[in-house]
Amino acid sequence: MTFQMPKFLRGFRAILYKEFIVMFRDRTTLFFMFFPPLLQIIAFGFALDNDVKHMAMAVYNEDRTTESRQLVDAFVNTQTFRVVKEVNSLDELEAMVRRGKANVGLDIPPDYTRKLRAGKKADVQVLIDGSSSTIALQALNTALGVAFQRSVSILLGETDRRELPVEVRPQVLYNPSMRAPNFFVPGVIGTALQIATVFAAAMSVVRERERGTLENLLVSPMSRWGLMLGKLVPYLCVSMTMALFLFTILRWVFFVPIHGSLVMLFVASFLYIFALISLGLLVSTKAESQNEAMQMSMTIMLPSIFFSGFIFPRETMPWIFYAISTVLPATYFIELMRAIILRGAGFLEFWRHLLILALMGGVLFALCAGRFKRKIG
Amino acid sequence: MPAEMMIQCENLTKKFGNFTAVDHVSFSVTKQSIFGFLGPNGSGKSTVIRMLCGILEPTEGTGSIAGHDVSRETDAIKGSLGYMSQKFSLYDELTANENLQFYAQLYGLRGPAMKQRRDELVALAHLEPYIDQRAGLLSGGWKQRLAMACALVHKPSVLFLDEPTAGIDPVARRELWDLLFELSSAGMTLFVTTHYMDEAERCTHVGYIYMSKLIVCGSPDDLKKLPAVNPPGTKRLDVTSDHVTVALRAVRKMEGIRAATVFGQSMHLLLDESMPEQSIRDTLGGVGIHEVDIRPIGPSLEDVFVLLTRQHAGGQ
Repeated sequence: MTFQMPKFLRGFRAILYKEFIVMFRDRTTLFFMFFPPLLQIIAFGFALDNDVKHMAMAVYNEDRTTESRQLVDAFVNTQTFRVVKEVNSLDELEAMVRRGKANVGLDIPPDYTRKLRAGKKADVQVLIDGSSSTIALQALNTALGVAFQRSVSILLGETDRRELPVEVRPQVLYNPSMRAPNFFVPGVIGTALQIATVFAAAMSVVRERERGTLENLLVSPMSRWGLMLGKLVPYLCVSMTMALFLFTILRWVFFVPIHGSLVMLFVASFLYIFALISLGLLVSTKAESQNEAMQMSMTIMLPSIFFSGFIFPRETMPWIFYAISTVLPATYFIELMRAIILRGAGFLEFWRHLLILALMGGVLFALCAGRFKRKIG
Repeated sequence: MPAEMMIQCENLTKKFGNFTAVDHVSFSVTKQSIFGFLGPNGSGKSTVIRMLCGILEPTEGTGSIAGHDVSRETDAIKGSLGYMSQKFSLYDELTANENLQFYAQLYGLRGPAMKQRRDELVALAHLEPYIDQRAGLLSGGWKQRLAMACALVHKPSVLFLDEPTAGIDPVARRELWDLLFELSSAGMTLFVTTHYMDEAERCTHVGYIYMSKLIVCGSPDDLKKLPAVNPPGTKRLDVTSDHVTVALRAVRKMEGIRAATVFGQSMHLLLDESMPEQSIRDTLGGVGIHEVDIRPIGPSLEDVFVLLTRQHAGGQ
């Protein structure tokens, strides 16, 4: 019994057969599909941890009293700071920060205790290295917090109240420990999948063009849908395997709990990868050489890294970047990942994102099959 | 009964921007012919083939394969033509067997039919010893055989071969030509581009393209009889002697010698018909060469193409 391929799919089985063999024999392509995303998730997962702890602090304690030492202890007890050196002049303190030996310099003036006891305002100077905004911001907030707490406890001691008049009790939902990996790793999966998948697909047709095998495909009765589907399916399989790896790492290396449904996670990944491969194939049909394909894919992918909300929140972007972010598949995928993994969001809340990804993939795929010329030159 | 025309083109022209790659080329090839298409690199040979295979749109003019127009009836010609491109178009990562199976599937062969056709081609091209070898690891000659077998999976009636013997050793070259004759006698029409004159001599018909224009077209014998190749009042002699380069220098100084070229141990002369052979013997004796063998010859295809090229280049 033979099932005859419909005319518009002619050549599909042949291309599929060939692509699978080539994919598993061509170790370099396979390596470059798997290695960079794995490296990326591991590196980003560990390095993008912006819970800064134990940053270096130099102290110039001019007061040398119990009170001033209590203040230094208060800084250290936040776990944000650790004292790396006690210095003996303001110049030395500044030099420590300038040389990068300390992120923060704490200067307690000689009249600190005297002013406190006299009921006056005591000034404490904190030098912060602003060249890293994450570190500076955290140092600043913690230092202000320490000062505020000291002030409040002193004021409480002077009144007959036992408790603060107002107390805010914050409860952080969905990522209660505010762990950075929980926030970043789902995003990394989006960019990691994108780099490997788009590059590999972008090389596929253009490589045949360079090697001269495309001419023979064009001479044959193969249809363009047959060619494109035959290229799409093997890459889809490899990238889905890749996605499985990445989710495994997310769960068991970074211990990010997955709150949502696994089915929805894989549907989202499937639609996203479909869109990415179609994008890569579109590049591949337009590019004349592998170099050109590489440059075109880079140009397309860079905005995804900056504007997709992976690193910078989309809500604070200038309108032009926000507009760019709305046409990037990565934007929707990353939002979906955070929603499904962290918030346990379901299909009913996020079907629009899935629909948009499906439409993007469908349109891109139709474009590359429809606009692929069965001629050369 | 007139011979069936398998390949026909009329005023076939291809322009890339301002550059005319193929300029109003017209010719036809009858069934079972081996048509040799010659010309220097960049003269437009591959461009003609690509247009006739339906993968490059002609700027002007028409071409047809087995009566089907190449630009309008693209689907109809696909079944009847085979194409072996310059680069052989094999997948290096696939074995010889897998390459064959891939091309067979591409042309819609499945199951037992595919296996049967594969076995036929393996036998035809004597590929058995290398059947499980990766194509990328085959030598030039075996790659060429495999590419040839791949181009034949769908039993085309017209086969285009673009420089099939470039970079192939002489034995493989001879074997390929044996195969081409076999295919031709089985009814196939062959269109071959080449740089080798000995290959051109084996073709039933040759066309010579120079600077995008088809200069001449016909059977090798007809071309050798062209008046342009045999100027009136001249004859050709083959002169065999020792010290052929010394002899060449001496002969070139003689009046009445129009052209002199070395071929191994002998030289080919084009000279005035009135010149007696004795005057050549005398001149060579003057430089110490006494053992001389002289016999009349006809022009070779190389003579034909060299003369026509010069004439054409001079006429512009």
